[in-house]
Amino acid sequence: MSMPSREKMLAAVRASQPAATPLPVVPAFTGLASVARFTAALTGISGRVVVLEGWHALAAAVSQLFPADYRLASAILPATVAVASNTPIDRLAPIDLAVLRAEFGVAENGTVWLPEAHMLHRALPTVTQHLVLVLDQRNIVATMHQAYAQLPDVGGYGVFLAGPSKTADIEQSLVIGAHGARSLTVLLH
Amino acid sequence: MSQAPNHADRSERFLLDEERTTWHDETLWFIRQKRDRAVYATPEFQELRELASQIKDHTLSRLAEYLEQFEARALANGVHVHWAADAEEHNRIVLDIVRQARATRVVKSKSMLTEECHLNPHLLAHGVEVIDSDLGERIIQLRDEAPSHVVLPAIHLKKEDVGETFWQHLGTEKGLTDPQQLTEAARQHLRAKFLAAEVAISGVNFAVAETGSVVVCTNEGNADLAIGLARVHIACMGMEKLVPRLSDLAVFTRLLTRSATGQPITTYTSHFTRPLPGRELHVVIVDNGRSQQLGRPDFRASLKCIRCGACMNTCPVYRRSGGHSYDFTIPGPIGAILSPNIDMRKHASLPFASTLCGSCTDVCPVKIDIHTQLYKWRQVLGAAGEIPASKKWSMKLLSRVLARPGLFAAGGSFARFGLRFVPHALSHAPGYNPWAIARELPAPPQQSFRAWYAQQRPNQA
Amino acid sequence: MKVALFVPCYVDQFYPQVAIASLQLLAKLGVAAAFPKQQTCCGQPMANSGCEQDAKPVYHHFVDTFRDYDYVVGPAGSCVYHVRQHFDIIDQTPAVQHVRTATVELFDFITQVLGITELPGAYPHRVGLHLSCHGQRGLHQANESEMTPVRDGRLRRLLAGLEGLALTELDRNDECCGFGGTFCVSEAAISARMGQDRLADHVRNGTRVLTGGDMSCLMHLEGLVRRRQLPMRVLHAAEIFNGALA
Repeated sequence: MSMPSREKMLAAVRASQPAATPLPVVPAFTGLASVARFTAALTGISGRVVVLEGWHALAAAVSQLFPADYRLASAILPATVAVASNTPIDRLAPIDLAVLRAEFGVAENGTVWLPEAHMLHRALPTVTQHLVLVLDQRNIVATMHQAYAQLPDVGGYGVFLAGPSKTADIEQSLVIGAHGARSLTVLLH
Repeated sequence: MSQAPNHADRSERFLLDEERTTWHDETLWFIRQKRDRAVYATPEFQELRELASQIKDHTLSRLAEYLEQFEARALANGVHVHWAADAEEHNRIVLDIVRQARATRVVKSKSMLTEECHLNPHLLAHGVEVIDSDLGERIIQLRDEAPSHVVLPAIHLKKEDVGETFWQHLGTEKGLTDPQQLTEAARQHLRAKFLAAEVAISGVNFAVAETGSVVVCTNEGNADLAIGLARVHIACMGMEKLVPRLSDLAVFTRLLTRSATGQPITTYTSHFTRPLPGRELHVVIVDNGRSQQLGRPDFRASLKCIRCGACMNTCPVYRRSGGHSYDFTIPGPIGAILSPNIDMRKHASLPFASTLCGSCTDVCPVKIDIHTQLYKWRQVLGAAGEIPASKKWSMKLLSRVLARPGLFAAGGSFARFGLRFVPHALSHAPGYNPWAIARELPAPPQQSFRAWYAQQRPNQA
Repeated sequence: MKVALFVPCYVDQFYPQVAIASLQLLAKLGVAAAFPKQQTCCGQPMANSGCEQDAKPVYHHFVDTFRDYDYVVGPAGSCVYHVRQHFDIIDQTPAVQHVRTATVELFDFITQVLGITELPGAYPHRVGLHLSCHGQRGLHQANESEMTPVRDGRLRRLLAGLEGLALTELDRNDECCGFGGTFCVSEAAISARMGQDRLADHVRNGTRVLTGGDMSCLMHLEGLVRRRQLPMRVLHAAEIFNGALA
């Protein structure tokens, strides 16, 4: 049905586009890939960074950070709500806390890469009230250039996540917790 | 030229509220300063601008090829790809998808393209509930207003205005003005909408030709939440949103929010490539005047725009006239070079809504020569007779005088004579002399420089 | 070196003292500039109004007037920028190309052509420098806040070199004053508001003498200063240096 428009648009573009110009080679733009830089960047955008003593300290750290009786979804801790990619919305909606693994972090801006494979459900990282991401501190790269270089492909769905959900749409006042998670904690191990 | 209000008329109204103008100016200048700090802290920023500019130039120069590549990859990923030549077709395609999904509840995240196409009224007219989920967009949707900024759609409103709107529509306490509490009220109200939506509509910040992915950038997480829950995702993109390679996103994500708000990156930079089994991802590729703009050599660079809004934040005119004074989906300097392509007569005053100070060009992360294009649109409008006749004739007359030194010297003495001997009340009457509404005319000197010079060197005369 | 003084139309008619100061300052620096009296205007008012086709005879007249000079020096960055940037729509004959590159703003001429980076003299006043956008962003005479936090520029350095002169540090170092040529009447309300805001910055930070290298911005600002009777004088920088230099 839309074939005529497709041909019309492509023909119009062909008729209008200028002579080809080269696609530049983007330099590596490396830099400091340290935990300190990552922590400063993420803290600067309202995220929280906690360094774990080791992987074994994960459960204790989470229950210390979230002492109340939370409805927890997780692939790496004993969960109180079981979540899979087809979990219905009414089971997702009440989730308070999700603890998930992140793939790598970016020091320049405090971002972490969260691929679909670690999410349990595509909506979980945003539907949960609070989000904890666990990251191996050896997997921190300097800039977004190294970050994309790490990705052979982005999977079906993947997110660079930088801090908790926020907005400044009312008079430019920063408010944390717009629609997604109200807090983001990165646990480094 | 028509008698409809132009940019000057609309700004004059905006400026009547002096205090609010001050607030608007200072708030946006504050964002410009945040941008400056982020830029200064990124040593390779100017190099990134140049790279981004070259990547976009290249993409536009081979756009047809990249569109086909994108389509092929997206189809292989199980994505439905639609082509819309204009706004009407875009709206029809979106409505068809919604109907085929037997849906009546749609949640939409931020998309300037759907604003441009006036999608909401179209869906509403056909019985589809469409809820804007970005907080700023929701506020103005409740107020039935247009966005006044591409990144900060409700920047023309104060918290008191929002409190009033939420009291009327969301049942919050009257007089509530705390942004934290207002945002929380919106969160509760919108969460119900997210959970109930059958279709999620989003814009597209970038589309990657080599992977067939669309990338959506938000701070609120509204796009991810809506898309993650709804069975059907419709991503609406202007055809100029392509980048060739996944790695190009590194350049653009580093520039986008540093330019927009001074953040190092948006909270959510989300890559949608394949729908889950049983779910649908539709991409609607829209022309709506873009191929025409691509064919205008002086103006095609405007298609490089990544909608960061930096040119608005820095524009001294925008900051003091507000986004609505432009009466176009995209306001500010970039809107002033995009709008005449759509309707030259209607938007004829916009390229003149600038002092050509050039700050827009210097903040643009993809190096669009915005102020040069403003100047060039003026020439196009002048040649097409879309400037006021009085201006046209006075400029012709001025040219005749300025090409004839004798006439010029005589005219100058006449003007000075006039200023010296015409009563102040007459020479400064607002009806005749817009200069004098706020300013004194120059104190007329006894003689011109040329007269003085002739006296100094009488034998040279 | 054959140098012509290019006196923009409004300077000739309304601010002859600025042209006189420019001429005298150049003379004190050893440059005898001539004033070709058939000169009129650079054509910018027409071109900015969308009538650059109508400005072509004016461009040709400008080139004919100045073609035989090595340099064409003007005390207004905006007009100079217009000649250099926008005379591209007429045939690029050798004369046109020569005049476009030979047309130089006064302080660029002093610092870049004559190589003078310091002018002697005293001026014990609190001086606020207004950067003209066309000079700064067009002719690259000063750093831009869009690029760097460092406030630097040719005229700023020259002024700072005068004995006793204290430069005002503004909140917004390089925001446009709102003159904008015909913009000042076609968008009179915004133009005035922009100028008022610029002046408020100067008043807040202590400027007693407002100066700059472009008389067009200063004409607009001076009109606002006089209307509001603000406690500051408005002088073109040529007037300051000419007065300070014995």
